[in-house]
Amino acid sequence: MTAVTPARPRFRLAPYLHFARVAMAREGTYRFDVFTSIASLLIRVYLLRMVWLALYARNAAPSELPLHAIITYSTIALLMGLVMDIDQTRLLHDKLHDGSIATDFMKPINVPLYFFSDGTGEVLFHAALIVPSLLFALLIVHIDVPSLPVLAVFFVSFFLGYLIGFCLNFLLNCIAFWTLEIQAMQLIVTWITDLFGGEIIPLVIFPAFLQRIAFVLPFASMFSTPLLIYVGVIKPGRYLEVLGVQLFWVIVLAVIATFVWRAGAKRIVVQGG
Amino acid sequence: MSIIEAVALRKVFRARERRPGIVGAIAAVFAPHYVDKVAVDDVSFSLDAGEVVGYIGPNGAGKSTTIKMLTGILVPTAGVLRVAGIVPHAHRTANAANIGVVFGQRSQLYWDLPLRESFELLRSIYDVPRDRYRQNMRHFAEILDLERFLDTPVRQLSLGERMRGDFAAAMLHDPKIVYLDEPTIGLDVVAKEAIREFITRVNQERGTTVILTTHDLADVERLTRRIILIDSGTVIYDGLLERLRDEYGTHRTLVVNLAEPYPEFVVTGADVVSREANLVRLRFNRRSITAEALIRRVTERYQITDVSIIEPDIESIVRTIYREGYHDGPVGAPS
Repeated sequence: MTAVTPARPRFRLAPYLHFARVAMAREGTYRFDVFTSIASLLIRVYLLRMVWLALYARNAAPSELPLHAIITYSTIALLMGLVMDIDQTRLLHDKLHDGSIATDFMKPINVPLYFFSDGTGEVLFHAALIVPSLLFALLIVHIDVPSLPVLAVFFVSFFLGYLIGFCLNFLLNCIAFWTLEIQAMQLIVTWITDLFGGEIIPLVIFPAFLQRIAFVLPFASMFSTPLLIYVGVIKPGRYLEVLGVQLFWVIVLAVIATFVWRAGAKRIVVQGG
Repeated sequence: MSIIEAVALRKVFRARERRPGIVGAIAAVFAPHYVDKVAVDDVSFSLDAGEVVGYIGPNGAGKSTTIKMLTGILVPTAGVLRVAGIVPHAHRTANAANIGVVFGQRSQLYWDLPLRESFELLRSIYDVPRDRYRQNMRHFAEILDLERFLDTPVRQLSLGERMRGDFAAAMLHDPKIVYLDEPTIGLDVVAKEAIREFITRVNQERGTTVILTTHDLADVERLTRRIILIDSGTVIYDGLLERLRDEYGTHRTLVVNLAEPYPEFVVTGADVVSREANLVRLRFNRRSITAEALIRRVTERYQITDVSIIEPDIESIVRTIYREGYHDGPVGAPS
């Protein structure tokens, strides 16, 4: 019997839309989580407001960020966290851990694209929570709203930051191809992101040398850049530059993620996982 | 025409070897030591479309490794493999459309979704036409009695229900070939029977080719005529189950119910295996004495009320072969 080369199966988007829909539905089944995450967000908004009020009352205020700006910054950062803090490729790690990834490779699908669809569905569900959360937050604090063009640039920057976060999560979960335990690694990355991402403390308050370190790492592009665009610290003249840096990180991390995925998938195919 | 062709299939894993103890654990981190493990050494077979074959072997014989190569998720180290004309690992997705897989120990259903939605998702993955999908669903729901739990999330199903769901899921896209890896493991008698019935019907009605690996030889006896026995990564027997029974199942057991409690019981040509009150079990070689002759010898000397004959079961035959190896000329092809 001679081998035939089958026609490459036609790409169909339908299954991937279905994966995303299923992921959304799955997140929706944990409804209690939704309420607790909104509640915890409101508590954090309130607490951060207290902290900044207290600090600013002692004249610790940096010149770039007046009180209303820093409260806006913190609140928007917390809202962004609703989607940025999700490990949307956790499923990859879980499937590598219990070996069920083998069944995914036995289906006529593009496996990384499956994880991307699933993660996107999960994130979209949580993104839908931003609007109600924002409305509740407005009951506690007053936040600034920038002009429409600035808002548009903010969303572009937010999206690029999200892609960076996605690639980082994907890379971390890919580590499970080699060692099944990735928690310690994830914890370290979370700490570094918290410190150098600007989610909790704006980088402009940092001492100069820490700012320099933050500048050469990808984490600032995740939170700090969109946030500083929102509060107007990054002026329109620098938009192209900072968006370019973000795009650079998206490309670099996506290329690395592709290589790591291929090496990992090859390992499964050759070693049997 | 053969639908699966495997020639001198071989798979060697590079495994990390760890010396025992703490020193060994630390050494393994800094200076790992690798050894080659041969999972499949030399496996050749060919399967005709519509055949059902039992792929049997002890744990670690290389059954699952072979199945994984057939599904295209493992690349063979050497050898040739064609499944429906396709080299599985080279065209993984094209091959995936031709096959269905059921693992007894691993579900391919979506844990958080109701069973029905898992099927819907699979419909979209395999691009099954709507009317074909409805037809299959109706058919499977009837044979496997799925209707009762179609709307239950998979995580809440019992093992038997989940397995029935898994079978329907594997067959939804009308695969040409299905691989069943220990499909009845852990199931109760009723569920096992439902699954076996389903396999038989799918094979007969749709001409689906079935490869079945199992430890439950009752599955094999019920479903297949041909078996491939493998041990240590090599095929040791490929042929009819019947023939194996003829060659190895030479000893039968005659069970005799005595009418009176004779103090002594002796018959030439057979050994008394056990005796409980009036119930005697005799083991005899059917090549040296027929059952009829043996019964005559018994009744000449003793009054009896009942006799029955127990045929050798395939399980003990296979056990003998694992232990002693198969030794009856070359490995035969099915006749």
